[in-house]
Amino acid sequence: MRIRREVPHTLAGAYVLDALTEPDRVRFERHLAGCEACRQEAASLREAAGRLAAVPAVPPPPHVREQVLTEAARTRQQPPLTADALAGPGRRAIRWRAPRMAVAIAGGCILVALVLGGLFIHTQRSLSAEQAHNRAIATILNAPDATIMSAKAMTSGSATVVMSHRDHALVLTTAMLPALPAGQRYQVWLMGTRRTRPAGMLPVPHRGMTAPVVVSGVAPGDMVGLTVESASGSTVPSSAPVLMLVLPF
Amino acid sequence: MGMTEGQPAAAPWPAPGRDLAPLLALVARGDQAAFATVYDHSAALVFGLVRRVVRDPAQSEEVTQEVMLEVWRTASRFDPHRGSAMAWLMTMAHRRAVDRVRSGLAAAQRETRAAVAVTDYDVVAEEVETRLDAQRVRRCLDSLTELQRESVTLAYYGGYTYREVAGLLGVAVGTVKTRMRDGLIRLRDCLGDGS
Repeated sequence: MRIRREVPHTLAGAYVLDALTEPDRVRFERHLAGCEACRQEAASLREAAGRLAAVPAVPPPPHVREQVLTEAARTRQQPPLTADALAGPGRRAIRWRAPRMAVAIAGGCILVALVLGGLFIHTQRSLSAEQAHNRAIATILNAPDATIMSAKAMTSGSATVVMSHRDHALVLTTAMLPALPAGQRYQVWLMGTRRTRPAGMLPVPHRGMTAPVVVSGVAPGDMVGLTVESASGSTVPSSAPVLMLVLPF
Repeated sequence: MGMTEGQPAAAPWPAPGRDLAPLLALVARGDQAAFATVYDHSAALVFGLVRRVVRDPAQSEEVTQEVMLEVWRTASRFDPHRGSAMAWLMTMAHRRAVDRVRSGLAAAQRETRAAVAVTDYDVVAEEVETRLDAQRVRRCLDSLTELQRESVTLAYYGGYTYREVAGLLGVAVGTVKTRMRDGLIRLRDCLGDGS
């Protein structure tokens, strides 16, 4: 993965003030991961920035408390991070699993998933649309430059992407994302140096897995994001991404 | 709007003798009563900050809910060696608030609603303001240069990116970056002095 531009040390201030754009933030956190001195500085500045939170306290209305406690009672909690944890406090961890490694093997696994997934895709699409969809997937999986990568969601679950630079396209599947209430779906976005573009809705999961989604028109510098939206989809993300995945370019 | 029954007034923050870290350890194990206590000790601070950034009261309530649920969900990830529980919590609150104003959903509404909605809350805010720490932070902010202070406060309370701040102040992006960092270093040193 090429860092698009040098990340200067001076971004530490903007970083702890949450004043970086999403792509800048992801790049800076990469930089932090490899720079102990930067991490220490960011942590000390973070404490200072945190003190700015000492603004007048305002009790929220009582119904907020009721809703939070009710919702908590039915929300699964995350397990603690184990030894190899590198996540910053409270922020989504973007972890790379062997980029550019064993594409053939991983692609094969995904193909198995596709075959299994096909059992229920059948019920949702016409045959010809399904064939076109599967052909698009096969083209990407078999591209000479196909690269596989995955990222964990900040909630729970993960997404796996097979991407082809040649085709400016990728295939996205997810596993074990938190179930959503009726009327809500996960929406895929391409977020990059250009504007954020909607890139389709995730299908309803089957045993925790979503059938593959093909995203085309991927541009250099793009990241893949997932947000929770109403089932009809949105034109701009209406909530913070539950998952961000940086694409190698 | 008055205080809720059974809810303590806002905890001073940072809260000496009211360390939420042990409670968070219980929350991580699914203790709902401990979570309710954490809520009671932090919700007013979270809501105060979120409302300052987001402005719109209804959206601020939503963001506060998101933050508190994130506390519930991710309590196991809190590491007391990396900072205080309250700092951890307020960091999440600020990020969520900023995410909200950048999402576009709030951006269109916040300017128009800001002037209208804030009034009745301020009476309550008067009562529960954590005066001491807020005053000290304000005094330390006053010790920054004007450009440092503007850069830091527009980013933190305005939810603007450093590029947007540069645009607002009419200075180079690189200048804003360094002023933010220098300003925070000065703020850190001033707050650390114990004065």
